[in-house]
Amino acid sequence: MAREVTFATASIRLENLTKQFKEVLAVDDVTLEVEPGTLVCLLGPSGCGKTTTLRMIAGFEDPTAGRILIGDEDVTEMPPYSRPTAMVFQSYALFPHMSVYENVAYGLKARRTPKNEIPEKVQEALALMELEGQEEKSPSQLSGGQQQRVALARALVIRPKVLLFDEPLSNLDAQLRVRMRGELREVQHRLGITSVYVTHDQEEAFSIADLVAIMNQGKLTQLGSPIDLYRRPADRFVAEFVGLSNVVPAELVQSNAEGADVRVLGQVIHSQQPPAKPKADVSVVLRPEAIGITSGSEGGIAARVRTLAYVGPVLRYTVVVEGDGTELMVDLSNPGATEFYEEGAAVSIELPTEVPALLS
Amino acid sequence: MLMAKSIPLSDRIRNRRPLIIIAVVQIAVLTLVAMWVMDVVIVEDTREVVDGVETITFRRELIGDPLLFVLAAIGMSLPLLSSRLRREPVMMLAVQLAIVALLIFVLWPVAQVFVEGFESTEEEGAYSLEHFQRLLTKPMVARATRNTLWLGVTSATLSTIIGAVVAYTLTLTDIPWKRWLRILVVITLISPPFAVSFAFILLFGRRGLITYDLLGIQEWTIYGPDGIILVQLISNIPLAVLILMAVFASMNRDLEDAAEDLGAKTFRVLRTITFPLVTPALLTAWLLNFISSISDFGNPMLIGGGFQLLAPQAFIQRVELFDPQLSAALAMLLVIPALIAFGAQHRISNRRSYVTVTGGARTGHVRKLPGWYKWPLFSIVLFLGLFNLLLYGSIFVGALVKNWGFDYTPTVDHLQALLVTANQLKNSLFVAIAAGVLGGFIGIGLAWLVSRQRFPGRGALDFSGTLMYAIPGTVVGIGYIIAFNAAPYLFTGTFLIIIIAYAFRRLPVGLRSGVAADKQIDPSLEEASLDLGASRPRTFAKITFPLLRTAFFAGVIYIFIRSMTDLSSAIFLSSAKTQLFTVQMFNVMVRGSPSEAAAFAALLIVIIVIALGILGRVTGKSFVDVFRIG
Repeated sequence: MAREVTFATASIRLENLTKQFKEVLAVDDVTLEVEPGTLVCLLGPSGCGKTTTLRMIAGFEDPTAGRILIGDEDVTEMPPYSRPTAMVFQSYALFPHMSVYENVAYGLKARRTPKNEIPEKVQEALALMELEGQEEKSPSQLSGGQQQRVALARALVIRPKVLLFDEPLSNLDAQLRVRMRGELREVQHRLGITSVYVTHDQEEAFSIADLVAIMNQGKLTQLGSPIDLYRRPADRFVAEFVGLSNVVPAELVQSNAEGADVRVLGQVIHSQQPPAKPKADVSVVLRPEAIGITSGSEGGIAARVRTLAYVGPVLRYTVVVEGDGTELMVDLSNPGATEFYEEGAAVSIELPTEVPALLS
Repeated sequence: MLMAKSIPLSDRIRNRRPLIIIAVVQIAVLTLVAMWVMDVVIVEDTREVVDGVETITFRRELIGDPLLFVLAAIGMSLPLLSSRLRREPVMMLAVQLAIVALLIFVLWPVAQVFVEGFESTEEEGAYSLEHFQRLLTKPMVARATRNTLWLGVTSATLSTIIGAVVAYTLTLTDIPWKRWLRILVVITLISPPFAVSFAFILLFGRRGLITYDLLGIQEWTIYGPDGIILVQLISNIPLAVLILMAVFASMNRDLEDAAEDLGAKTFRVLRTITFPLVTPALLTAWLLNFISSISDFGNPMLIGGGFQLLAPQAFIQRVELFDPQLSAALAMLLVIPALIAFGAQHRISNRRSYVTVTGGARTGHVRKLPGWYKWPLFSIVLFLGLFNLLLYGSIFVGALVKNWGFDYTPTVDHLQALLVTANQLKNSLFVAIAAGVLGGFIGIGLAWLVSRQRFPGRGALDFSGTLMYAIPGTVVGIGYIIAFNAAPYLFTGTFLIIIIAYAFRRLPVGLRSGVAADKQIDPSLEEASLDLGASRPRTFAKITFPLLRTAFFAGVIYIFIRSMTDLSSAIFLSSAKTQLFTVQMFNVMVRGSPSEAAAFAALLIVIIVIALGILGRVTGKSFVDVFRIG
């Protein structure tokens, strides 16, 4: 087992960071503070500005306005090679004309590490990523997972204060992706190094991050722990993006400081939090697994099955509420043989009686 | 609001440090430029004799080009406006050096051609339009201009049409012997262009093997406009073939199939799908051949007879009739259509290409053709290939007989006579190798600047780097002579002027191939290097350059070959001390015996084949790849 490496890690502070490409406002006034040792995920659809934000932290793009601080140091004006960051690229960017050893040693040589210390440090990094014995291979001889490990070893060996990940797993197949993200998380946690991780994969972000920052159209929409985002999405975009796709308009019945009651599809639901603005239109988020489904007309709300599909271990129905036309997604985990409804079958659905919050 | 936050003092000092380095470097570079383009000399002012004592007063006088210095200073100050470059002194310096180099060695000499035509002959340093009027009203000038444009249009049109037929046949039909024919039809690319007209003279001249010995024709000669057109076709068809073969080969067959599937018949498919898809390439081939045709110097000199053209006349007026103003005016008239064609080509290539290969598309599918369609196409290609073989054969055989046209007894005398020119050969090899290496480095460095870095004026730098493609060799020669002839440039008559002229003249090809190769490299490789703490020069040396090595080497070989075979610039720039092989060869072709000249041409071809062989060994590229980048 490799010796523990101690890292002088640092916080990251983005202050009103803005990037304007010719016509496009790619990043719009983003302010974000990352505590030392935290892994924060920038999550959002493609074109939301998450990669541009990451590239500004690394120094590949100049911000149009705003500042970037790593620890107490303002790095906004610093060229990439002077910054205490190391990045793991989507394509890994392993130098094709160098061996694994030379790739890992590259950053040390560039930073003028004394020659006699280099071999030891390289070996240490390779051991950490379980790459012993691969030193002389060329990157093209390695599997995708191994290339990923070399990329991480190459980034870690220079002891950066901040690690940056640009969709590092998107070139791997589904199974390896799940395994590698566990490994990444493990290493990051063990070394306690501040990290910014960009992805468009909600599941990946939620499984790896301490904090998730959701970005949309250049703006930072919501920052919170995965549980926070899941329970209290700030708006419809976040709710839909984190995979809670049943956002249903609701009628406000009454509200007070402790909570509110709303009417949804003729049924009253209690919200643990009052709406942000008292008179505004509100919506509720109904999580697909919180909705019940039963056969025939045993009370509840009458609906008809539109489609059904297995999504992993979950049987997912799309049902249309009779008369109203609202479409709902209903997930049944571990469905029994008896609870199986054909397309077009008449069913009855039950909504949850309580939701954490309302959207306005 | 952002400004309110004060930046810590240590940061401020660190942020200023590059500026101090920049300032020091600026002053050093500017001083060097000043010393290079200007000088202060002491000249005699007055001479008085008082009481038998002679008093001479001297004054200091500034010579050289203060204007060039001012332009260089302005050019160098432009990058200072970029905050991105100010942060990275090395990049700043690279951009500034590129600007100064292109200004001094590309824009300045070309601009000189425009200026000299206006220079008054009576008064030194004065300019007049009246003088220029005199030049333009000369009947020779009008005739040469008309002839040049006529030749350019005819030659470009014919070579593009034939090139398109040949390229289509070689890529998309099922004719036999394709592999060999592909090499034979473009083989004339490797020889100096005027070797083709020399071979034509051997075969069809007054004492030509075919016209005189086989057919007994004596009234008709190859000399004149017909001859030039034929020779230019043979020299220019290969360029059209290479451009169009690449397009035909990458054309998505699915598009034509889709059109047929929708009910279009063969001819409609050709008219509505195939032709529009290749139009940009056809235009490109036409424009490049037009430039090549009007720039042609060697062929008209050898085979033009009395047919007056701008490029040869510009030489004759300067060197033989000692009228530099008229020569410059002719050169200027030559540059204008070439620049227009170049601008048009630039626009076309900047437009998005239709011929984009998407993943999974079937490309370059060979069609099975009916015989009545296939054999005529095959005969055209075969004829062209065999004709090229005949031209080259005549050169090699010509070198091995006593006196071509009169005495066909085999001999090795002419090969032995080549030993006399060992000196010129050595000079040419030295110049071509030096120009190749210099041009290769500048090309790859400039390509990296314009394709990977962002700074204001990048487009202008790219344009200046490519501009020389449009400038005929004669104009480059004349421009360099005018620009660097007098003190303080201790430059004319040296090898250095030839090397620099060649390196910058062929820079466009090095630049283009470098840019193309740069696009093949994942930009995150360079970013990874910077991110790991390597400076930009280190990143270039350790990551970018090793990955661009093949492109660099191909560029070096291309420039070497083009410099080895150049005549149009060499004839102005070489001097008694710097004699070049091609100039000597040209003189022998004009004045000496055909067989002696054939030995020169044969040796040159052998040298080029060796250079291409080395290239193939080192990079695995064929000679076709090298010339495709041109």
